[in-house]
Amino acid sequence: MSQTVTTKRSQRESAGPYGKIGHTLNELDDRLGVAKGGRTFLDKIFPDHWSFMLGEIALYSFVVLLVTGIFLTLYYIPSQDLTTYTGSYLPLYGQKVTEAYASSVNLSFAVRGGLLMRQMHHWSCDIFVGAIVLHMGRVFFTGAFRKPRELNWTIGTTLLILAIVNGFLGYSLPDDLVSGTGIRIAYSIILSIPLVGTYVAFFLFGGNFPGTAIIPRFFILHVLIIPLVILGLVGAHMGLLVRQKHTQFPGKGKTEKNVVGSPMYPVFMAKTTGFMFVVTGAIALLGAFAQINPIWQFGPYTASRISYAVQPDWYMGFLDGALRIFPAWSFHSFGYTIPLEVTIPAVIFPGILFNLIMVWPAIERKFTKDNALHNLLDRPSNRPKRTAAGVTVAVLCSMLFIASSTDVMANFFHVSLNTVLWSMRILCIVTPIIAYPVTYKICREMQGFAGAGKRKTTNVVSRTAEGEYLATPAPVYVDDVVHEHEHEAVAIPTFVSEPVAEDEASPSGVRRIPR
Amino acid sequence: MSRSRTPFLVLAALVVAGPVLGLASAAVASTTTHTPYQTGRVDAGTPNSTTVTKNSAGQVVSYGDPAITYTTPSPSLATLGQSLFLENCASCHGTQANGVPANGTSGAYPDLVGLGPATIDFWVESGRMPAADPTAVQAKRRTPRLDQNQALAIAAWINSLSPSYPGIPSVNLKDANVSDGAALFALNCAACHTIEGDGDALASGTFAPSLRNVPAYQVAEAIRTGPGNMPRFTGNLSDYQVADIVKYVTTEIQHPQNVGGFGLGGLGPVAEGFVGLLLGVGLLALVGFWVGERQ
Repeated sequence: MSQTVTTKRSQRESAGPYGKIGHTLNELDDRLGVAKGGRTFLDKIFPDHWSFMLGEIALYSFVVLLVTGIFLTLYYIPSQDLTTYTGSYLPLYGQKVTEAYASSVNLSFAVRGGLLMRQMHHWSCDIFVGAIVLHMGRVFFTGAFRKPRELNWTIGTTLLILAIVNGFLGYSLPDDLVSGTGIRIAYSIILSIPLVGTYVAFFLFGGNFPGTAIIPRFFILHVLIIPLVILGLVGAHMGLLVRQKHTQFPGKGKTEKNVVGSPMYPVFMAKTTGFMFVVTGAIALLGAFAQINPIWQFGPYTASRISYAVQPDWYMGFLDGALRIFPAWSFHSFGYTIPLEVTIPAVIFPGILFNLIMVWPAIERKFTKDNALHNLLDRPSNRPKRTAAGVTVAVLCSMLFIASSTDVMANFFHVSLNTVLWSMRILCIVTPIIAYPVTYKICREMQGFAGAGKRKTTNVVSRTAEGEYLATPAPVYVDDVVHEHEHEAVAIPTFVSEPVAEDEASPSGVRRIPR
Repeated sequence: MSRSRTPFLVLAALVVAGPVLGLASAAVASTTTHTPYQTGRVDAGTPNSTTVTKNSAGQVVSYGDPAITYTTPSPSLATLGQSLFLENCASCHGTQANGVPANGTSGAYPDLVGLGPATIDFWVESGRMPAADPTAVQAKRRTPRLDQNQALAIAAWINSLSPSYPGIPSVNLKDANVSDGAALFALNCAACHTIEGDGDALASGTFAPSLRNVPAYQVAEAIRTGPGNMPRFTGNLSDYQVADIVKYVTTEIQHPQNVGGFGLGGLGPVAEGFVGLLLGVGLLALVGFWVGERQ
């Protein structure tokens, strides 16, 4: 007669092959049916290429934005009511300031960790938008926006616009001298819209500038409405990413029909969690050691005061630059004035720019007549026209960005501000015109050059007994023998639906799944 | 005029008040039409106040409040001042300090007579004069070529040509209010010197200089006399208010409470953008490059 002895081993065995966690998951699955979705999620394959990490910087800095932002709302007072500052910063003591400004200074000086949180919030915003732009550049230049991913490109562009707008609203909230100037400029830009400008401006500001409504309104937009929209769109962005699966660079074993990379669990999860901590850590270090937006030095905003050398945060820089260098043209007729020097650079130009970005996939399809599904990415050099167009826009925006610091450059290099202004006007027109053909030519050259992208081999110099020197090229690196960098004929735009070749060797450490 | 004052120089070595009285009598004689406050080019930069305090020599030492006292350099320095002027200044400003150099062109260089000791003292002691490059659009602050005593001597000599105001200010910072100074600075100064006092480029090669290393009396001199493109602040700022601004500049602008880490050069969002993009996004992208595959 066998005796039942409860051992650890028998307990483990009775819990089933998946242990206690597996049991819990089974229970969950019985009720909610999570197994199928969970399996898809855990098995999702992420390509390993480093450029796919850029979007993650944006995602994790957004997480930091949310966490630090929630902290800040606990202490910030969104009100333009006047109060007397009686805090610890002496140069402001006794000054009449708004509640918004006083609370921003107080949360910097009097709240434990408040300044760190404020600085982390601001730094992560700068990094958030920067990472979005980098990620967008990667998606654009590799053609990742092509069918079937046009919708996700549009969502991404919308996210960029919302991030910029919310960044502007956010740095306006402290109501300090510098940001107040920014609000004043925004008010004037809205005013400059023909026909409806004054109505829209009065509607948004609750009357004439500055009024008392703008800070509470900006606050609700900044902390509730726009973050919710961003959150929803981030969800849609990621949902579509899972639904449509990742793109990948062409290479050994990679086809239009598969995705090669690491699965979510365990490889990618470890990697991305680590990366999240790196992003958070970097932002925390910046917040702790690099001062950003010292509002106490700027003083409170009143309409009668202004500081020279005021720039917006970097992501608004290209608009500020366009405003700075645009010639003073305006239209006066029929009793109306249209300030073209504001309308064109600050309303029409960004309108055209962002619309162009939004509809770019459609424009490209129209020109290439390429209606196929694309899962393999382009090398930028294989698409010289697209690459050249992208570089042209990037160069224009960079030049305008640089133009937003005309005064800083003039002061730093000890040249006349007028010289800098005219240089930037010329550069903003000339450099994009040069950028297109130069980029196009470089791309074509790279296509024609077989060794492009490969490591150079050494020359082995030897001396013979007679004293003769011989230089013999060493054999090419083993890794480089794969012809992945070589120019492929630009794909004929058809969707080849051939099955995955089963005999292809799977590179170690990666998994390959059919789409 | 300097010749007529020579007898007093003997007395100057023995008694201080003597030559002051002597010069004052000469000054009163030649400037009876001068009001102690600004009426035009002469006495430019004196506060618009009819309440004045005079010293025993009859010179105005303050304009109704004790926040700033003004001193006129001792006339005993005038002889030294004249020789220094002929050595260092006369090639442009002329031997009579009237802005007409030896070759006779007038209008190219400023007439210094009647501008008051504070103006002369500011330009010499901030190192702007003698000019490193007389053709430059705007002189830069640099290590002074002449020391304080020599600057006072030149001011004394030019003042002896036509005694005028304001004298060299000495600011009483003890009672000044730094908070009022901050508000007045934002209202009057930040539009050119920037709110952080770093200065910046203005149109056509001119610039508002940095205020980071300007001593208190020079800040007051500049506010009152308006060097170069800077406006003269005379009627709208009392001496109390000037003292408040000077206190704010010499404390919070020159020694800012830079909590929150490195100040990034006070360049504001330009520097912040570079740090955020290059250090922040750039480093994180590098980490991504390190974590990811590179083929």
